[in-house]
Amino acid sequence: MGFDVTRFEGEVDEELVCPICSGVLEDPLQAPTCEHAFCRACIIEWISRQPTCPIDRQTITSAQLRPVPRILRNLLSRLCIVCDNASYGCSAMIKLDSLATHLAECEHNPKRPVPCEQGCGLIIPMDELKDHNCVREMRSVIHTQQQKMADFQKELAECRFTITELKREVHLVKEFMRAMRVSNPAMRSLADEMERDEVIQWSNSLTRARVTRWGGMISTPDDLLQAMIKRSLRDSGCPLNIVDDLMENCHERSWPPGLNSLETRQNNRRQYENYVCKRIPGKQAVVVLACENPHINEDMMAEPGLVMIFAHGVE
Amino acid sequence: MANNIAAQRIQREFKEVIKSDEVAKCAIRVELVNDNYTELKGEIAGPPDTPYEGGNFVLEIKVPETYPFNPPKVRFITKIWHPNISSVTGAICLDILRDQWAAAMTLRTVLLSLQALMAAAEPDDPQDAVVAKQYKDDQEMFRLTAKHWTAKYAGGPGGNPDFEMKIRRLTDMGVEEDQARVALSSYNWDLERATEQLFS
Repeated sequence: MGFDVTRFEGEVDEELVCPICSGVLEDPLQAPTCEHAFCRACIIEWISRQPTCPIDRQTITSAQLRPVPRILRNLLSRLCIVCDNASYGCSAMIKLDSLATHLAECEHNPKRPVPCEQGCGLIIPMDELKDHNCVREMRSVIHTQQQKMADFQKELAECRFTITELKREVHLVKEFMRAMRVSNPAMRSLADEMERDEVIQWSNSLTRARVTRWGGMISTPDDLLQAMIKRSLRDSGCPLNIVDDLMENCHERSWPPGLNSLETRQNNRRQYENYVCKRIPGKQAVVVLACENPHINEDMMAEPGLVMIFAHGVE
Repeated sequence: MANNIAAQRIQREFKEVIKSDEVAKCAIRVELVNDNYTELKGEIAGPPDTPYEGGNFVLEIKVPETYPFNPPKVRFITKIWHPNISSVTGAICLDILRDQWAAAMTLRTVLLSLQALMAAAEPDDPQDAVVAKQYKDDQEMFRLTAKHWTAKYAGGPGGNPDFEMKIRRLTDMGVEEDQARVALSSYNWDLERATEQLFS
């Protein structure tokens, strides 16, 4: 709909007035043959009711509407109009083509977004500032956030349930595969690959450990200590099929030749620093996995890896 | 939005009519009925060389919210004897007030179209079948009747003593004056037939 003619400086030529809304043409379009011009919104609305020119009733469709000639657009853009916010105190007289730019930054716009300066910092329309109450606004913000949190919690619970279900299924599938691999070599390699992936995933979830005192190593841990470490391994998500093998390798009696006596350990202690060690969570112990240590000599490594328990000195 | 356009348009058209030549010649007039430009009162002078000459016809103009995308609703308040205007309700049969409306038409063009309609009736597209029949069958009778109605309701010149007498005969019998006039007009001022119709 066009601009009210009373907002313009001086008389507006009749040619610049929309015959439908009787305002000054806004975003005008013209009919194809008779070239009568109308505001875009006005003529679209009219054609939706009756596909004729509102002046001479020639048949037209909205697809046939064309932009008006440049001369008409120039004449329109030169008109001077008062700002939309004149009643709010804006005294600007603007060229019609810069009205939009002016409105975007007009200081008198009652809906201009301003930050609350009483402390809450919320961005609100200027005319709502006087009725603004920080506590009330904040309460409503908290309320919506609580609502969201409750929704998320519900979603989380659902996800947890799904995960438990999936875990159970995966466990069953694994059992199934273990049973199958005995008879089927293809299945065996597939299962091996899955187990390898599982080990890598688990080891990626552990944090890298630094051993500061290799001398603190307990090479002959007792059963109680072994049981504690084993539980930690399980809790950390260690694949169940390697837990026992790993725990087997926590005692010097099953360590490889390069580690199995105090003497060989003394000889090879320089190589300790080359181990990629992972912390067993919450314990003074590390796991050294074979798959992460391909650079270590065979006599210093065992499949699927080593567990080294310390009295102290693990970071 | 539509509502806004309607008010803006009517304000402008109102001024247009007031400033127009036709107002200067006393041919048409508009007045506001309420402040929000949704209802107006129009007046048309009966066109010269017609039975309506000298009369002043008042119109009710209701502006719909969807104006100017829909036509204004116009009817005659002043009773009039015309084939395209109901002698009972004042409803008008004119294409531009219905499906031939165009958004660029204004109060001024509507009033002038009505004036033209008064000067040139369309008996083949009637609003009042009785009037239309009389118009086609007996032009002179139609002219006299329309002139009488103009004199009676629109302040036109010259009564018709013969018609007045017949009406008085019926009112003496207890018939309402307007009712008597309609009955007599419908039966070409045949007192007997009008009486028969009124009391049957």
